[in-house]
Amino acid sequence: MPELRKERLDRGVKVRAESIYAISSMKEIMFLIGPGLVLVILLLILPVSLPSFWQRIMALTGVYVLLSIGFGFLASYVGLVSLGGALFVGMGGYISGLLNSVGVPMFLSIPVATIAGALICTLVLLPVLPLRGVYFAIVSFVYPLFAARLIAALGIFGGTDGIAGLDVMPNVYVLLYVMVAVVIVVMFGMSRLVNYEDLGLVLRGVKDNEQAIKASGLNLTWYKAQAVFIAAAMGCFGGAYLTHLYGWVGMSLFATDFSILPLAATVVGGTGTIYGPVIGAMLLVPISEALRPFGTLRIVFYAVILVFFVVFFSEGILDYLKRKYEQFEHWVRV
Amino acid sequence: MSPQNEILLEVKDLMVFYENAVAINNVSLRCQKGKITGIFGANSAGKSTLMSTIAGLILDLKKKEERKGGERISWFGEIKFRGKDITNVEPFERASMGIILCPERRQVFPESTALENLKIGGYLATKEQARTSLEYVLDLFPELKPLLKREAGFLSGGEQQMLATGRALMAQPKLLLLDEPLLGLAPSVEARLAKAIKKINEQTDITVVLSEQYARPVFPIIDHGYVLENGSVVLDGTSEELMNNPDVLSAYFGI
Repeated sequence: MPELRKERLDRGVKVRAESIYAISSMKEIMFLIGPGLVLVILLLILPVSLPSFWQRIMALTGVYVLLSIGFGFLASYVGLVSLGGALFVGMGGYISGLLNSVGVPMFLSIPVATIAGALICTLVLLPVLPLRGVYFAIVSFVYPLFAARLIAALGIFGGTDGIAGLDVMPNVYVLLYVMVAVVIVVMFGMSRLVNYEDLGLVLRGVKDNEQAIKASGLNLTWYKAQAVFIAAAMGCFGGAYLTHLYGWVGMSLFATDFSILPLAATVVGGTGTIYGPVIGAMLLVPISEALRPFGTLRIVFYAVILVFFVVFFSEGILDYLKRKYEQFEHWVRV
Repeated sequence: MSPQNEILLEVKDLMVFYENAVAINNVSLRCQKGKITGIFGANSAGKSTLMSTIAGLILDLKKKEERKGGERISWFGEIKFRGKDITNVEPFERASMGIILCPERRQVFPESTALENLKIGGYLATKEQARTSLEYVLDLFPELKPLLKREAGFLSGGEQQMLATGRALMAQPKLLLLDEPLLGLAPSVEARLAKAIKKINEQTDITVVLSEQYARPVFPIIDHGYVLENGSVVLDGTSEELMNNPDVLSAYFGI
């Protein structure tokens, strides 16, 4: 009996697209830029084609996409497991809200909240950066709980009621296209950063071997702090955006969802890439919202879907699609 | 067949693929009971793959790679242990059958003490067996005696290798697989360990399969040797036969 083995080979178009032949014809060019183009076009036409209920969800999804990119970036490229999504969102949201409530216009308060919030988040996380392992996860998870209790107990920043009556985006298209633009810039920018920039190179080294980074004469904590700043800036922008989506800022911005969902999105979408978390978040948040008619059972169905993915599809959606896109399989005799 | 030259381990037409790359190409080998078999080859010759395929660890590797969608590992052929086909038997079951691997780069449990390391090795044995084999190991490697309370990660390379070999012995092996036991050791320690391996083989009748890149230190102790190159067996024979082959001498034995 002849024994057969499945062989995996790169598609011809992929091999050509890796070399100078990449620009030889439209086919190769489309092979290279096709997937990104589809994603961009999808993001651009979604705001005008969705019903109004789903437009709100798309805005929320955008925030989660940014958080997931931040989580995936820290986990896959820096080796830090961050549960600080809620910290970033809350920090950005409150700074933007406070500025706006004293009269700073929205188009100024959002960028200021993004930068200042990311700076504060990086500073408060600085003490745990030299440590490896779960410490970063624990501390980044505890800060938002701490902040929420502090606000409730002291009654500062509007206490449990929050600050209402803030500016909102002029209309839903401005709202969505601002988010689409930011997501596109962040997605491709981060992909470039981790793959082609020096900083990305160093950060991947930090993930693999911290001692070797130190031995190469690089300041480990400084590079980790830069990475945390980048991830925090994305989260803080998300928080500031949410503030001006609702016209209200409150303790719910420190909700644990913002910390946990990016983790799930990264697992479902695929670790080790920037686009994996994007796809994961773009699937999970709408699924979670679509399950709302089930009421309390929603979480049950949601959990079942998550467990299914982790157990039977643990390589992640993106890795699977990428393999199907780039390679084909056939049987050969051993 | 007389019990003296019973074939303990038989590998027949083994092929191992890492995705499309051939790691082991049509390898067949037989290990006689109570003898020491050497497997020699340069880096990437397939020594470690062969060892982990015999020990079954490749099943774990395959599962791990499948989970993260990485390299697809497949193998064909047959591995027989005492006449039983074990090609797809889980590694822990192989260990309880008596196939014990002492892995490459020692792989001691760095945060457990030396004594705890040895006890983990003796987990499958009865209390009585474990006590006698502990005595035997300490008798074989008296250097370990004062170090029993120390964390294994703080032992030197030679001490760790003795500990790892001892740990493998604690598991009551019938077939002891030593993957590069002399890796990164000083020449004097190499000789010391080679002597110990010979002693184990003589005193306990344990069959030993060991792999090495540089064959000179272990050459005097082996009974039969195989030379691997790019995953295939290019030469095999008794130590005398190998010794008389001038190509082998220069390439693998550095003589």
